[in-house]
Amino acid sequence: MLITIAWRNIWRNKRRTLITSGSVFFAIILAVIMRSSTDGVYEGMIENVVSFSSGYIQVHQKGYWEERSIENAMKINTNLLSKFEKQEGVSKCTARLESFALASGNGKTKGMAFIGIEPAKEQMLNGLANKISKGRYLMSENDNGIVLGEGLANYFKIKPGDSLVLISQGYHAASAAAIFPVRGILSLGSPQLNDNLAYISLHQAQQFLSADSLCTSVSFYLSNVKKLDPVANSLRSAFSNLPIEVMTWKEMMPEMDQFITADKSGHLIIIGILYLVISFGLYGTVLMMTYERRHEFGILVSIGMKKSKLITLVFFETMFVAFFGALLGMITSFGIILYFVFYPIRFSGKLKEVYVQFGIEPVINMSLSSNIFYYQALIIFLLALAVTIYPSFKIFKLKPVEAMRS
Amino acid sequence: MGKTVIDAHNISKIYDKDKIPVYAIQDVHLHIEAGEFTAIVGPSGSGKSTLLNIIGGLDSPSYGNVILDGTDITALSENELINFRLNNIGFVFQAFNLVPVLTSKENISFVMLLQKKSKEERNKRAEDLLIEVGLKDKMDSRPGELSGGQQQRVGVARALASRPKIILADEPTANLDSVSAANLLDLMLKLNKEENMTFIFSTHDQRVIDKARRVVTLVDGKITSDVTR
Repeated sequence: MLITIAWRNIWRNKRRTLITSGSVFFAIILAVIMRSSTDGVYEGMIENVVSFSSGYIQVHQKGYWEERSIENAMKINTNLLSKFEKQEGVSKCTARLESFALASGNGKTKGMAFIGIEPAKEQMLNGLANKISKGRYLMSENDNGIVLGEGLANYFKIKPGDSLVLISQGYHAASAAAIFPVRGILSLGSPQLNDNLAYISLHQAQQFLSADSLCTSVSFYLSNVKKLDPVANSLRSAFSNLPIEVMTWKEMMPEMDQFITADKSGHLIIIGILYLVISFGLYGTVLMMTYERRHEFGILVSIGMKKSKLITLVFFETMFVAFFGALLGMITSFGIILYFVFYPIRFSGKLKEVYVQFGIEPVINMSLSSNIFYYQALIIFLLALAVTIYPSFKIFKLKPVEAMRS
Repeated sequence: MGKTVIDAHNISKIYDKDKIPVYAIQDVHLHIEAGEFTAIVGPSGSGKSTLLNIIGGLDSPSYGNVILDGTDITALSENELINFRLNNIGFVFQAFNLVPVLTSKENISFVMLLQKKSKEERNKRAEDLLIEVGLKDKMDSRPGELSGGQQQRVGVARALASRPKIILADEPTANLDSVSAANLLDLMLKLNKEENMTFIFSTHDQRVIDKARRVVTLVDGKITSDVTR
């Protein structure tokens, strides 16, 4: 019956309840969309940069990260790869051979990075083939073609079917030069990758660089990206006998991690201020609900209602006012987010250029992570709990005779 | 002689004890037996409500003690006192004071809910009580839909819901028209006679005083007369 009373009580002053719930409703929409877009943009950024370059975790020869030269490449075999894959939390791993080359095509020359990949595995892990905007993906390990970012393709003004000449320095300073037929053009999420990166098969890369059985890194994909550090630590301890180094993407790209952390903190401050404003509104309502019913509270205590029950009643009322708005806000924001998940906002013009300059895909992706909703519910619950502290104290101190006189 | 239900010893209530003491009640001795129908009368400010509040455990005396049905309520903790009130005392208030969001039946059931009675028992007793106070057709009406007299009847039914030993009524007819007041008095007298329930009420109302079998007069916080008729 307490719940029934609480529910009916909040509707004793409909306008006030609707205004308070309305403020919670709009705050939730704003907070959820802000969190969802922030998380979505960064998840996309990490996905774009990490998936197509370093991997979430990378294993390489000790010393490679300080001097990223093919001379620091490591020997790899299927046995070691399968041992890596058997580690808990690892979904798959793939060997890569990365280097730089001077590329020439259509009379133009440009320095670029290239990665030798296992085409089938890459497709399985990051869906690289899905990023092909023109032409086709690498068919197999023996495919001697090249796929390159659309920025590079635009620079060289080449299309599938044309050829690109790469000149580089191979293993032990062997000279490396080869002509690669262009198989496809990639539209990668990150503008920086689009302008500077190309893929050939691992086998072709090893041949091109005279680096038989060598790779510069093994990239790991995780079954749960949130378990990045535990998986990295377990890899470190499991393979401590090998001359290898295990690094997470956060260690490899600290600037990106710091940028994301700083920007997220900024958003958290804005959301914090938003909730602070809302909590004052909620507090005002609860305080009014408590003060204007002092007389009634006095009666209830007189007829035998314990103060703890009365506090529970006020808490239920606060929860109802808060969660009524919060629930509607979450449902509405879920709908809005769902729409933008399917139809993300794509920037154009100047704004697009700014994003590209910062190496961020000019798209606002939304995240539908359930955590965003759980956190808002938790925040609202804690707010409701906090705003009932003072009214609870007043109820605790309430003297029925004095209350009934009010 | 009936069983003693209220034994107030030497009770005083002093406000501003440390500055200029004001005696709301001074050295009051009151002994009430089961089944009495007692009116506490006196001019405004004579201490009627204060005495009733102290007897009901809503207020504490500055001195003295109150023994209700063998329990010294002045020695009880706050929660023990709330429990004691719930199970032993029924209150009828001048301004009815029903919970506005609950129906008549729910207002009565609510007290029994606090006593942790089963739903069937609560429903049965609430319905029986509403029939007894003549509001069978108003079970699902909220206080706002009832007249003052009807609300006070629900108030009496609520006071009876917990099967208390004593009913304390603070000016129960003050906000009622003459017909409603007469009906309410008849109801209280009937319950007093049929169920041997002890009624104590503070009042100014001469109609109530006329029907009381014992009249205790308070003036300036002291009992000046105690007449049993």
